Order: sequence, then C-alpha cells, then structure tokens
Amino acid sequence: MPAILTVDDSRAVRTIVGKQVKELGFEVLEAEDGVQGLAVLAESQVDLVLLDVTMPNMDGPTMLQKMREAGNKTPVIMLTSESKRSIVAGAMKQGINDYILKPFKPEELRTKVLSVLQGEPGGVDSLVQPEAAPAAASAGGEPPAAGPNASGNRFVDVLLVDDMDNVHKKLRAMLPPHLSMNAFTSAQQALSAARERVYRVVLVDTEIPDVNSSVLAQQVRVLQPHAAMVALTLRTANDASTEVKDLGFDSVLFKPFRPETIDDFMLRYFDNQDFLLVEDNVLSLAAFSGKADRVERFYGRLHAVFPEALEKVAAACYDDVVLDLGQPPGEADRLAKFVLAVAAKSKEFGMTLCLVGPEGAKKALGGFTETQELRFFPSVDAARTGAA
Amino acid sequence: MSVEKLASQLEAILLKRIEGDQLVLPTFPSVALQVQEVLKDPEAGMKEAAAALEKDPVLSARVLRMATSAAFAGGTKKVTLSEALARLGTKTLKSLLVEASAQKLFVSRNPQINEQLKVLWEHSVAVGTMARDVLALTGAPESEGAYLAGLLHDVGKPVVATVLLELERQLTDVHQRAWIDSGEWLEVIGKVHRPIGVALAERWQLPAPIVASIKESAEYDKSDRHSFANAVCFANAVAKKTGIYAGPVDAEDNDAIIMIGRSAIGISDEIIRTLTKGLRERVTGLYD
Repeated sequence: MPAILTVDDSRAVRTIVGKQVKELGFEVLEAEDGVQGLAVLAESQVDLVLLDVTMPNMDGPTMLQKMREAGNKTPVIMLTSESKRSIVAGAMKQGINDYILKPFKPEELRTKVLSVLQGEPGGVDSLVQPEAAPAAASAGGEPPAAGPNASGNRFVDVLLVDDMDNVHKKLRAMLPPHLSMNAFTSAQQALSAARERVYRVVLVDTEIPDVNSSVLAQQVRVLQPHAAMVALTLRTANDASTEVKDLGFDSVLFKPFRPETIDDFMLRYFDNQDFLLVEDNVLSLAAFSGKADRVERFYGRLHAVFPEALEKVAAACYDDVVLDLGQPPGEADRLAKFVLAVAAKSKEFGMTLCLVGPEGAKKALGGFTETQELRFFPSVDAARTGAA
Repeated sequence: MSVEKLASQLEAILLKRIEGDQLVLPTFPSVALQVQEVLKDPEAGMKEAAAALEKDPVLSARVLRMATSAAFAGGTKKVTLSEALARLGTKTLKSLLVEASAQKLFVSRNPQINEQLKVLWEHSVAVGTMARDVLALTGAPESEGAYLAGLLHDVGKPVVATVLLELERQLTDVHQRAWIDSGEWLEVIGKVHRPIGVALAERWQLPAPIVASIKESAEYDKSDRHSFANAVCFANAVAKKTGIYAGPVDAEDNDAIIMIGRSAIGISDEIIRTLTKGLRERVTGLYD
C-alpha cells in the first residue's frame, strides 16, 4: 500500500488531508514541520510528500532542498496557501511534481495524488507546449487495450476490470456490437485507461486477487466522476445489492452473465439509443433477448425513437427506407402495430417502406390485412436491390 | 539615445497626450471594414457586429469608452461588447468605424517590427479567448466579459507602438537617421506599456474589472479566484508558453504562474490541454 507523508504545522489540515488520502486506500504519515518530515523520510518508505511552505523550525522549501541535496527523489506536491510565484518557481526548480493552493477541493487533492502516484509527468510542460512542437494531448500514452472494441476513441461505453480473460470474452459477446468496451485484468492498467478516456459505465470485479475492489472503485470514481460504478460479483444467497452499495458501487451485475441480466444492465445504462440503429436508409431493430415483461417497454421505446430516425433518412433524400426487424419478440400484434406506424410515417416523408426479417416475422405480419401489402425481403441487400 | 531614456521620454509624451485626450490610436482597417460589412447585412445584429469587432483591442476599447461615457452611460458599466454596442446603436457605431478607418496605417518600414505588431494583436486575441473559455469551463458565474479584459490587458502596447512609429517616420523621413532595431523596439514597449494602458483605461473610465486586468498583478487574487484579472493572468502566461507572444519571457516565472493559476482558478489539466491545442491556429492570420 503506498504511503503518503503530509507535512503541515496545522493539525486540522493534516487531519483533513489524511482522511482524503486514507479514503483512497493509502497509508498516511504525518509531520509538523520540515525537521520532523526529514526524520520520517529517513525512517520510512514514503511514496509521496504533501508539503506545506510556511512552518516553524524548518519550512517546506528548505525541507525540499535538503531532500533533493540528499538524493531523495520522492515525488512532492506543494500544498499551501502560499501563492507567491517566486516561491513556487523556486520549488519547481527543486522538482515539485504538482501544486495545490489552499483552500482546496477534495477532488483536486485526490486527482493530483493519484496522478503523481501513477507516474504522470506533471508540471506545466506536459500541459502547454509551444505550438511549433507537435501537440502532446496525451500525457500518459495510450492505455493498454484489451477489449475487441478497444480503439483510440476517447469516449468508451464500458470499462471492465476482471482478472479472468474469459469474463471479458463472455461480456463482449453478450453486449451489442456497437457498444465499445475496454477490458483489463489489472487495476493498474484500468486506472491508466481511466486517466486517458471517458467511460459511461465501469464494471469492477469484487474478487480480484490482491486488489481491494472498494478502493479501486473509489480511485476510478475520482477519475471518472460521471461514470456509473457497477460491481461484478457471483450470485449468492446474500443481499449483494446492499453489500456492494456499502462498498461504494452504484449497482451490481451478477456472474455468470445471463441474457436477462444483461438486458437489465442495457436498459439501465444504455437505454433508448440501442433500440433502433440507423445506417444510411436502413433502420435495424436491436436484438431482443430479455424477459417477456420487457416486450412492452421494447416496443414503447421503438415507437418513441423511430420518427427521428426516419427524419434522418428523409433528410438524406432517400426514396426508400428499409426496416430490418432482426429477431423481434414474438408478439405479432405489437410488431404489426409498430410496422404500420413506421409505414405511415415513411409515407408522410414521401418514402416507401421495405421490410427485412426472418420467415417467422413475415408470417406474423401476413396475418394482418394492413401489413400484408408491404414489401418483404430476406436480407438488406435484397431489399436495396428490390427497392431500386 | 538609450532604451531607458527613450522609454522615459515616451512615457512622458504619452501620459501628456492621454491627459489632453490627444492620442492618435492605431487600428487595423480590415477589422473596421469587417464590422461595416456586418452592419450592412439586415439579418445581422449587434452580436454579430461584436464578434467581428472583438478582434481589435483598440477599436473595442474605443467602443467601450463611448458606451460608458456620460452621453450613453446609464447605470452599470458594461463589460461585454454586445452590451456596449446595443447601447451605442448602429448610427454611432458606423461613425466611429469611419473615423477609425481614416486613421493612419499601423505599419513600420522594418519588416521585423511589422511581424511583431501582428503578433502583439494575436497575443491579445489569444489571451481574451483563453480567459473567457477558462472561466466558462470552470463554472464561473461571469465569463463573457473576460474576453474583453483579456483583449485589452495589453492595450498600452499598440498605443506606445503608434508613437514609436511616428518617431520612426520623423527620424527616417525627415532627418534620415537610423531607427532602433526590433529588439530595442520591443524593450521600449515592454518598459512603457503598462502605465500607459492603466492611464488610458482610467482616463476613459473603462469598467473596473478591465482596469484591474490591465494593471500588472504580481500575484493571483486568492479572495476572488474567478476574477477576470486572475483569468487574464493565467491566459497571458499560457499564451506566452504557447509562443503567441512578441518579447522576452522569463520561462521559470511564467511556468510558476501557470502552475499556481491551474489550482487557484481550479482548471483541470484536460481543460488546459483542450484550450491550448490549436490556440495558435485560431488567432493566426487575423490581420493578414
């Protein structure tokens, strides 16, 4: 566990800083001034020093200078109410890694502590570079990519942290292909990725060997304040939902994965944008693999989103629109009602509707006089050719 | 004449002119022309005119001065150009633009000095843009006025430069004497511009947050972390670090200003990277 030394003559500041740092899962050492600080450094293994400037006996800049003269290269964050640039410039020359002005927000402390401990270069040069030189937008390099959809994209749907590769494969196979996912087996890799990218949902296994998943979740949350944190755990007789909330997660996803639980997960975090996909003039219904009681919600969302999708197709000046039904849930009347609504709206936009789907869907729609006349094709390619 | 002596005499001349309201102000005719074009468009409003105008610090300062003068003043001092223009009205603005277009061209015979004149303008636009965006992205209650504060933070420089150009013409045309080089030119401007900018802003009664941004602030204001002056101080250092600046830079001091500012104002590293990327592209070529 990394140890952090906080050197400040104010007990209140040491207490507040210590609390924040402990919440991140780090050990905290304290010193009241530079003399005590140097003594602690001589006795203990310290990974980071949080250093005040003005203190009795020995001030921060002197302690820093003595550390560096003695060859001690422990990272230092200056945490002070001192904002004189001559003093900060002097400390920067001695190699401080970052600077926090008091009073500070807890997020700033946590972010900078994590950043320094992860070996980020810090300093002003990593942020602002003369524009003649190539811009270095990324300070830490590309994170290791482990998921099938891992790419250079900064915005990724799912971050999965689980030490078992098979879990990555299973989840990838069950999530819709258009959702992007980064999967990692180690906490370090995941934290590195969380510093570089923006995730919508973070899944953390609660049983990774030698990793406190609660602490890991807190660390990721600092870096991804807007992401949902979901615990991955085995289904047990205990009330896992309550247990994981106590650990700092928003919800739980049980292993092994089942279609209905993935359906719940999708509905909860990725909701409407996944029900109907649009590509050129083809609208494709997402695969439905959930419980029977989700059918009504499935069609309800489809009715809500299809007019906008049709509008996009019409705006691109297509004469025909293709509706790929995929494998719709087997309730013929709901399907027919939806198809009729799409056909009517298409007509309003001056477009002709072609349907694509399995034989079962064709049969179901053939049972209704209103949908019998619609053109039906076995594949999207056939529909495009037929429509042309 | 030494640089010190020239600077001292120049400061005295300028302060006297400001006092007597006898300054000849430089402007880039292209900006005045752009604003005139916008005003011809019946669809365009004052917001569009302000967007065109805000590329020229001197013109912006003149508009602001007029809007806050006794003839137009009505309550609070305006700190955005849109507000100032709305108060002035199209007719007044047009006459101001005609007057501005008639000013002598802001050109030196020395191509290096000309290049630095251009960078001086670009630096002001970069600082204005950065100051506004920094405050907007850190959730400050008021960010729009920070553009003007940044744009005008070095308003003394073009004023000093104009008088230097006047002297250049007198010496080279009339007396056939050699003129200072671009390094000395910058040194003189660096020594004189701050008191001149402050004197001008106070004389013109520009809004207090803008005057505060023009005054050289040795340190950040910890009691008002989202002040225009803090945003301008930070943006100025970032623009210098990015290389959009004419003149010598104390790199260590400048880095310290950035380091302190990102914590004092509460700017995340991500925001800084985003704002600095392409900053030069956004300001380059404004006056070509």
